[in-house]
Order: sequence, then structure tokens, then C-alpha cells
Amino acid sequence: MTTTALPAQTAAPTRRRFTVDEYCAMAEAGILSERERVELLDGEIYVMPPIGAPHEDGTTRLSRDPILQLVDRAWVRVQNSIRLNDYGLPEPDIAIARLRDDYHRNLPTPEDVLLVIEIADSSLRSDLDVKLPLYAAAGIPEVWIANVAARQVEAFHDPVDGVYQSSRIVPADGRISPRVFPDVVLTVGEFLLGDPDSEGDETDAPGTDS
Amino acid sequence: MTTTVAPAQTAAPTRRRFTVDEFLAMDQAGIFHPEERLELLDGEILIMPPIGPPHADGTDQFDDFFKFSLRGRARVRVQGPVQLDDLNLPVPDIAVLRLRDGYHRAHPTPTDVLLIVEVSDSSLRRDRDAKLSRYAAAGIPEVWIANVPARHVEAFHDPVDGVYQSHRIVPADGQISPIAFPDVELTVGDFLLE
Repeated sequence: MTTTALPAQTAAPTRRRFTVDEYCAMAEAGILSERERVELLDGEIYVMPPIGAPHEDGTTRLSRDPILQLVDRAWVRVQNSIRLNDYGLPEPDIAIARLRDDYHRNLPTPEDVLLVIEIADSSLRSDLDVKLPLYAAAGIPEVWIANVAARQVEAFHDPVDGVYQSSRIVPADGRISPRVFPDVVLTVGEFLLGDPDSEGDETDAPGTDS
Repeated sequence: MTTTVAPAQTAAPTRRRFTVDEFLAMDQAGIFHPEERLELLDGEILIMPPIGPPHADGTDQFDDFFKFSLRGRARVRVQGPVQLDDLNLPVPDIAVLRLRDGYHRAHPTPTDVLLIVEVSDSSLRRDRDAKLSRYAAAGIPEVWIANVPARHVEAFHDPVDGVYQSHRIVPADGQISPIAFPDVELTVGDFLLE
């Protein structure tokens, strides 16, 4: 079947992006159900990958130890929204935010957020490719991507123009602290126990600093 | 800066798709501005390109012609939605529909559609790539892509397994009739002016 060559200047289709307010209106209207795991990233609504057992376990462990150590010093939110901008409402696994007394009225914004932690199993690509650049663009000062399969944390710092300028990989036996709370020391292997399906694969972990 | 390589088994990010019902509910809930021109293709809500003068005029010409020549024989819908399936609600420039009652209750479906005309200038790529294959998949029997810059009509017929099996280009001085109405003939150049 012959077709005419397309003029180069014709536009590709553009997806309608949504603001946080429109997104919330969809939830209120019941179009997005409360049971649905979705998040708004750069105006697009993404389906979040299912949370596997290692992901859930890592989140729970991480939410316990820092909470105990950060009581009265920071606000630890677990799988709750942060308002990055008018087009972004991600739900990171852990968000450590400044203490404020009005989070019941106003979602944390980038100025409030000290550290975001994403536990990444099947969500790894989404976390690295989609969410990390948005956190950087919003100026979130520090992000940890906790890689369940590799049993390591990749920590990103110093966002400039939407890119984290430094990162480092901390292996299972390494220690890591939030930059703003250097006295809170966590051992990676204690919250990333490993994926039971990939036991014995730990030697594959790069474990290199950069 | 080193970064972890995502293992192959990790899922690529998936966008939430919407059904036609959800899309219409969003409109009901006032999420869209009334002036927004949107269509739903494969569950994705797409912004329709602005309508330039050649596109608007070409649409008006087809509208006038079909409404006059098919009066009492077909319903002519202009830039109104057609529901192809649960995930597709395109808004073609012209949809020639079977006469029947009930279009005020639900949008026409493929069995109602006799001919779709898309007048294409800036929207050419989207009409050709995105919409044509959806029309074929839904079994729309005939689609005309009226190519404004080229001043010709590309006519597609005989959809099988999501592909139109026949296709012909009618130049400005050529005549074309809808398959469903062979007695209604028009000259392409009268509709796509220089």
C-alpha cells in the first residue's frame, strides 16, 4: 500500500497533562479509585508497579529506625504524597521532611523535604528514569534509591538544573546517613534483606563508590 | 557519575489509561476547560492541534456538501465524537452516520459510521499514524484523509485485521464518491482550495 511522504513539520500527538488540582479532582469524582496505586509525575498519571515483599519489608524497616532516631527532629512520611510542583505529586516510599505543624492542611513541598528514599524492585527503572530527574528538577537535596535486587543504595546529591551532580553506591555492608542528620547511621543490609528469589546473587552487586 | 543499570526484568513506567466512560466522567466533573479540544486514543487523552483556516474551511465545505446532498439519507456529524471501543473516542472532522434515533443518548459506534473524513494540515501525521489504524481496527468501512497541502484525498477502504486493504489517491481534479452513496460525487479541488 503506497502512502504519501509526510511533511516533516507535522506535529506528533501531544498527551493532555494534568495539574495536581485536576488529578485530585479525578480522585474526588471517583475516576481514580482510592485503591488504585497511581502517581502524578510531570503531569502524567502513572500506574505504580505492585509492591513485592522485599519492597514492603524495606520500607517498613526504613520507616522504623529513622523514625526512632528522628523523633522531634523530622517528619517521616511513608508512601504519602509530596507536592513537587503543579504537575507532580509522587508518593515516595519514605520522605523525611522538616518538622511543621500544618501538614494536615498542606502537603510537603520541595522546600520541606530533606531526603526521599525509594525502595526499588520492579519499580527500579521507573524510579531511576522518571522519578529521579523530577526530584532533581524540584531541588530535593538528597535521594536514595534502595536497590532490592542488588542489595545496595545509590545516594544522589546536589541537584543542579535537574541533574544530581554526585552519587555514590553503598553496598549491603556499608553505612549511610542522611546528609542533614549525619548522626543517624544505617547499615544498608539491615533494611535490604535481599530478594528471596535471588539468594546467592549478592556477589553481583557492584559495590563501588564513585 | 555512575548509575545502577536497571535489570531487564524491571517494568518500564506505565501510564494510566482511561476508558471512554472515565474520560466522559472527567468532563462531567469539570476537569477539562470547556474550550479544550481533546480526544481519547487507546486510553490516552490527546490534545488536538489548533484548527488553521485551510482545515476549518475544508471541514466546512465537506459539511455543507454532505448535509445538502445526503439530507434525509444520513446524519452528518462535524467535529463530534465517535466511540470506536472502550478506549477510543476520536473526534473526526466529518462522520457520515446511519440515520437512526438515539444519538442523543450515546455516541455513535462503528456500526453507525459509513464514512469518516479527516481534513489534515498540521494534524496529518496524527491522522495518518494514530487515527487511521484505530479506524481500521474498529472496522470503519471508509476513511478519507483530505490532505490540504497536497490538495488531494487519500481514500482507504476494506479494513481487515486493523489495516485498510485498499487505498487510492484522488488528485484535485479527480472525482470521488462515498462507497455507501455512489450517486453523490464531488471534485476534490472544490473542497481543498489553493
